Amino acid sequence: MLVGGCRERATTSDQRATSDRQPTSDDNAWFADTAPQSGLTFTHFNGMSGEFYYPEIMPPGVALLDYDNDGDLDRLFRNDLVVDGRGGRTLRFTDVTGSSGIDAHGYGMGAATGDYDNDGCVDLYVTALGSNQLFHNNCNGTFTDVTRASHTDSRGWSVSAAFVDYDRDGWLDLFVGHYLNYRLEGNIRCFGLAGGPDYCPPHVYTPEPSRLYRNNRDGTFTDATAAAGLATEFGPALGVATADFNGDGWIDIYVANDGQPNQLWTNQRDGTFKNTALLAGAALGAEGEAKSSMGVDAADFDNDGDEDLFITELTGQGVDLYVNNGSGVFEEQSARAGLRQPTLPFTGFGAAWLDVDNDGWLDLLTVNGAVTQNVEASARHEAFPLQQRKQLFRNVGGGRFEEVTVRGGAVLQASEVSRGAAFGDIDNDGDIDVVVGNASGPPHLLVNNIGQRAHWIGVRLVGGETPRDMVGARVAIARSDGSTLWRRARSDGSYASANDPRVLAGLGDSTKPPTVRVRWPGGRVEEWRAVPVDRYTTLKEGTGMGVSAR
Amino acid sequence: MLAIGGAPSAGCAVIALLVCALSCTSGRESKTAGEASRDAPDRHAFAPVLLPDLSRASESVRRQLRDAYGSLTERIGEPGTTTSQLAQAYGHMGMLLMAAEYPDEAEACFIDAQVLAPDDIRWPYYLGHSYKTRGETLKSVAAFERALRLQPDDQATLVWLAGAYLDQGKPEAAEPLLTRALARQPQSAPALFGLGRAALARSAYADAVQYLERALSLDPRAAAIQYPLAMAYRGLGDMDKAEAHMRLRGPGELGPRDPLMLELGSVLESAVAYEVRGAKALDERDWAAAAASFRKGVELAPNEPSLHHKLGTALFMRGDARGAIDQFEEALRLSPGFAKANYSLGVLMGSNGRPDKAIEHLSAAVRDDPAYVEARLRLADVLRATGRLAPALAQYEQAAKLDPRAADAPFGYAMTLIALKRYQQARDRLLEGMKGYPDQLMFAHALVRLLAAVPDERVRDGRAAMRLMQDLRAKEPRTPELDDMMAMTLAELGQCGEAVTWERDAIGAAERAGRTDLVRRMAGNLLRYERGRPCRAAWGDQYGGLLQ
Repeated sequence: MLVGGCRERATTSDQRATSDRQPTSDDNAWFADTAPQSGLTFTHFNGMSGEFYYPEIMPPGVALLDYDNDGDLDRLFRNDLVVDGRGGRTLRFTDVTGSSGIDAHGYGMGAATGDYDNDGCVDLYVTALGSNQLFHNNCNGTFTDVTRASHTDSRGWSVSAAFVDYDRDGWLDLFVGHYLNYRLEGNIRCFGLAGGPDYCPPHVYTPEPSRLYRNNRDGTFTDATAAAGLATEFGPALGVATADFNGDGWIDIYVANDGQPNQLWTNQRDGTFKNTALLAGAALGAEGEAKSSMGVDAADFDNDGDEDLFITELTGQGVDLYVNNGSGVFEEQSARAGLRQPTLPFTGFGAAWLDVDNDGWLDLLTVNGAVTQNVEASARHEAFPLQQRKQLFRNVGGGRFEEVTVRGGAVLQASEVSRGAAFGDIDNDGDIDVVVGNASGPPHLLVNNIGQRAHWIGVRLVGGETPRDMVGARVAIARSDGSTLWRRARSDGSYASANDPRVLAGLGDSTKPPTVRVRWPGGRVEEWRAVPVDRYTTLKEGTGMGVSAR
Repeated sequence: MLAIGGAPSAGCAVIALLVCALSCTSGRESKTAGEASRDAPDRHAFAPVLLPDLSRASESVRRQLRDAYGSLTERIGEPGTTTSQLAQAYGHMGMLLMAAEYPDEAEACFIDAQVLAPDDIRWPYYLGHSYKTRGETLKSVAAFERALRLQPDDQATLVWLAGAYLDQGKPEAAEPLLTRALARQPQSAPALFGLGRAALARSAYADAVQYLERALSLDPRAAAIQYPLAMAYRGLGDMDKAEAHMRLRGPGELGPRDPLMLELGSVLESAVAYEVRGAKALDERDWAAAAASFRKGVELAPNEPSLHHKLGTALFMRGDARGAIDQFEEALRLSPGFAKANYSLGVLMGSNGRPDKAIEHLSAAVRDDPAYVEARLRLADVLRATGRLAPALAQYEQAAKLDPRAADAPFGYAMTLIALKRYQQARDRLLEGMKGYPDQLMFAHALVRLLAAVPDERVRDGRAAMRLMQDLRAKEPRTPELDDMMAMTLAELGQCGEAVTWERDAIGAAERAGRTDLVRRMAGNLLRYERGRPCRAAWGDQYGGLLQ
């Protein structure tokens, strides 16, 4: 696990005492924060100086990656998961930043993960204000900074990035979402209506072009932005999600922009993309307004076999729920789904579709925090008065959601300035846990206490000679009741963060081993029958039963 | 603590005027208007009104809020204060607090004003907007519903309340309100727009098209209608119309006429508030109002360079170039690294025929903000126009790198190559431009001229020019320029007789349009064709002869 951002601030007992966070003692809460007891004692500090420099409000992102291939997710704090004889789990993180060789020197924002050189060890890309860095995993617990040699520094200001095999050549390419042209020397001062200084809106700066790097299969990348047709349309990118939105077997790229129309780069299957977001109905809000999009995630929340989109927005705008009709054409249905009204008071950043209770329906978690000063918090003379609580929504079927934040536990209700959120089964108990990165605050490790009450299936999808996680692979899980769950392996999405690439699907009360059909990023389709429930199974490309693509 | 009439000091940020639980108000709300006005106000029965911590507010706002707070306190203390006077004092305080973005304190004031004057629509109406701004839809709905009970046909309340229902995913609740608004004002584009949105929310695309088309016919400039209309046509499967409306979409809102919110928008005396009003006036192309607002802002914050810059812009738009220069220079004096001020001065100097001063200011803008694409482009243009071609190329190149969307950058680069007589490179750049910016026909125009008339015979290609011309004629209406290009191409292909006919048509059209400069240039071409010679001056002298 990696938390992007600036630097660690020494945590004093006083600061801990004034923090809102309280480990929950409520056994019924769906999530419990176990960060302190598991060794996640890092406290992020954004370097704020009272000058209201814009970048202060953007980090930190979070990355979950199994960097040592020991089967559990790390965060540059090594996770030494202990499972006792009765299945009890103890998470213990050890700070291994120093020994890892990772020396991130920019003003950090976020991270992306992927095994770009197919050596079976996940690599790490760190986004920043300044120069990004690509760290090659040496498969021995250490990393080497290969930014220069790989030509991936992508200077400027980037927040979210994604590894994606857009040309289906079996090698992960890299999309880097760039945000704004910003220099400290050119910092613009902004004020609230009452005249007080505050953080600026994004439109006072111009956006930077995002970048697409094609993997040369030799450890280097080529900037393919213009050749792929991505150069002439861009906005201030904050969120990136890659998925096959139109079901043609080729991975597309969705970019969430802050204050400008979002882009849906539809893969043209020839190395180029076309932005289809406007007519696809996924660029703007329901009234045609460009919104302040931040976090994004794609998944099939309505179990109809296509990838839908969820995007977090600014206070007063409400989230977006773009429902796919199967062909890459969307309808914004946040109001109809019951998501718009409860999200209007919040500025959302990290977010993801996750099946919290493993009932087979994808729920939603958003982590929030304002970007302009909260008057009430200002009145309390708080240094960084942007706090908001998080939100958890349960999918009740029929395309509708209900807010269940209270059931989520006290940690979700604590007011904080949350930004990145990474999602994955950190304790390998069959449900999705969450790490939340807080700006100028300690992270949370939200351990899921409800998912394991239901049955589940977990698969790691690997391919290649030295197996790597095949992000972008789609999985159809045929359940005993005749229904099918569609999931995909992905590490991208959310905000500035990288997720667990394993696929975990809730089966409710069903214990019957399902049939799993995988559509690999290269186009091959394979099937495995009677995949065991309540445990993880590794499915390797080329070892299943071949079936026709359609 | 901020004591009434005293100076701010650290410590407690608020003071309660009259302390009572909020629940006290609910019982009072059930009173009728008549009862409320008959009763003397129970001065211990209101929600506490808190003056927020004003330490971060500007001096003018502090003064305004303290004065209003003082007045309110006086009213409360005076035994002779009528209920209506007290309600007005609370309401006014609430308006100021809301305008200054202190929503919690504003809410308390409006609730008290509402208790005191339960038949006054203003206070629930402002409450509705305050909650709406904070995204508290349920409270917003309740407040607007209360306002509507007081004035059942108030257009603004009907439309805003309907909007709040749409936020809740209740189009069926929104539609009757909008129908009522439309019945009252059949020409109400906002009501039709709302009905269109409600129909879209129900996936009733045909109804949506009908409502939104009517709204658009009533307010053709309302770009906000275009996107929902495009979505409605998409829903009906009419992709041509969907695309056509999508192209016309734009920013902006389509709200009802809203005198109460207009009044609220004018109460705050702060530099930023005046800046906002000025910017709004600029958007509405009301240069005089914009200048007046910015000038008031400058009076309140004379050391704020951006306000001087905006005032300068408004003055320039109003035709006062001298006044504009004074403001831009003042902005620069206050902030020597203020790139936008240097840019504006550069543009002004350029248009006043002072290219050296223009280059000086634009260079400074680029130096202070290397990512300032507009400044780089303008600088490149002036450099090219004055023959400084190598530095012009460098600026165009940088601009293209910074913003690949800016078609002017590769186009300017290609035109500078032509000026440098690097015709082959120019041709390649123009071809790249056509590919990269298919909607920007300027690349094709330039390429036709280049292929038809440049002196370098390795580049000239009349047949290719004709193919491009045929494409262009299919895409564009006939213009004098297009006819001139056709004549040029025909002459290159040796068809001078036809070229003469096209050139004469072009000259005639240009004359009818009063475009004497064009007529003069084309007359030279005509003479060449009449003598059986092709054109070798593709752009005449419109670039100061630099292109040939």
